[in-house]
Amino acid sequence: MRFVDEFRDAALGQALASEIRAAVEPGRHVKLMEVCGGHTHSIYKYGIDDLLPANVELVHGPGCPVCVIPMGRVDDAIAMAHEDGVIFTCFGDMMRVPGSHGTLQEAKAAGADVRMVYSPLDALRIAKREPEHEVVFFAIGFETTAPSTALTLKRARAEGVTNFSCFCNHVTIVPPLRALLDSPDLRLDGFIGPGHVSTVVGARPLEFIPADYGKPVVVSGFEPVDILQSVLMILTQLRDGRCEVENQYGRVVPYEGNLRALEVLAEVFALRPHFEWRGLGFISQSGLRLSDDYAEFDAELRHEVPAVRVADPKACQCGEVLKGVIKPWECKVFGTACTPERPIGTCMVSSEGACAAYYNYGRFARERELV
Amino acid sequence: MNAPDSCHCITCGDDGVPMRVLRVDADRLLALCEDEAGERSSVEVALVTPVAAGDTLLVHAGTALTTLSGDAA
Repeated sequence: MRFVDEFRDAALGQALASEIRAAVEPGRHVKLMEVCGGHTHSIYKYGIDDLLPANVELVHGPGCPVCVIPMGRVDDAIAMAHEDGVIFTCFGDMMRVPGSHGTLQEAKAAGADVRMVYSPLDALRIAKREPEHEVVFFAIGFETTAPSTALTLKRARAEGVTNFSCFCNHVTIVPPLRALLDSPDLRLDGFIGPGHVSTVVGARPLEFIPADYGKPVVVSGFEPVDILQSVLMILTQLRDGRCEVENQYGRVVPYEGNLRALEVLAEVFALRPHFEWRGLGFISQSGLRLSDDYAEFDAELRHEVPAVRVADPKACQCGEVLKGVIKPWECKVFGTACTPERPIGTCMVSSEGACAAYYNYGRFARERELV
Repeated sequence: MNAPDSCHCITCGDDGVPMRVLRVDADRLLALCEDEAGERSSVEVALVTPVAAGDTLLVHAGTALTTLSGDAA
């Protein structure tokens, strides 16, 4: 792929790392949150943490769509999957997320028809191919995957497919950021803003962070040079006493977002009054349901679901990890009772999850050398 | 669906994959696309039309969110 190599160039990375060392104020400890799970994954994969001075700390945010799904919603999914005549479809990672009585993968082993798909369009294809079954799609994700679900539902309506429905768990990025900023647990100095969410919603919805909370935000790409440059841009803002939304990822993210995608989202979805996030609790206006116009495709209206709230397992500290209060290796069960093979918490499931990223790339050094 | 060296999540779908357009079905707003590893799939292009063979799209969960310029791809 053209220009990917340049964004992984070691010499450029080293040069940015030394500029970062020069830009950070000596004696000041700077905590930056990368909101998006894709950034978390890149940071561990490329060892970006190790290039930063010890007083620049990256804190991992709530931006992995798998990690934020609470156990009760997984239980609802499993209940639907066990219904006679239902084909339950989901992205691969969701198969391994534990509910209170097992996973979708275990439900499949017990006889439920659970199938992995790469997109909602794949699920719709199954529905067209097998009209005698009810096909349910487990929709998860932020504003990056919500347009895909929305377009698939529009397509289902246009093509007259009636045996297809959507178990909607889409969430929006701004309300949890506000909740984190309001949380007394956490003191952050700036944000590495989500790259692909901003492709859809634009950078404008992030303007409340500098305006209301006085913290800089830099929307960032996912390659190592992108992330290092974004860290440098935030540190430069802090050093110069500026505080604004900047767009490092201009080659992909238009500041206004994708207006057609926003129109489709507004047509197909409506905001829920509140939605539960794993570890973060209920956050107002943070989740999407199908709009009244699309209620015929709403799996929660078409199927019996227990809809019971389930507390996270006591040993699991995903909540603190998602809020960036503790590092993954500080969790009591990290790498022992909780591993990617047998996860207890969601952060160990998806490769965007902070715990799985730490575990897979062996990055659990407790301290970095002072530079 | 995913390039072997992709730095993002493989299976949750919330993963931006650059894909090159091979053929466009303009009536159905679908395009046959190929990723870096040569994997092909059909992609929703309603949000980025007009697209043409040879364009590179950023695809999330089977839907193109934006057209990547030559510099980005």
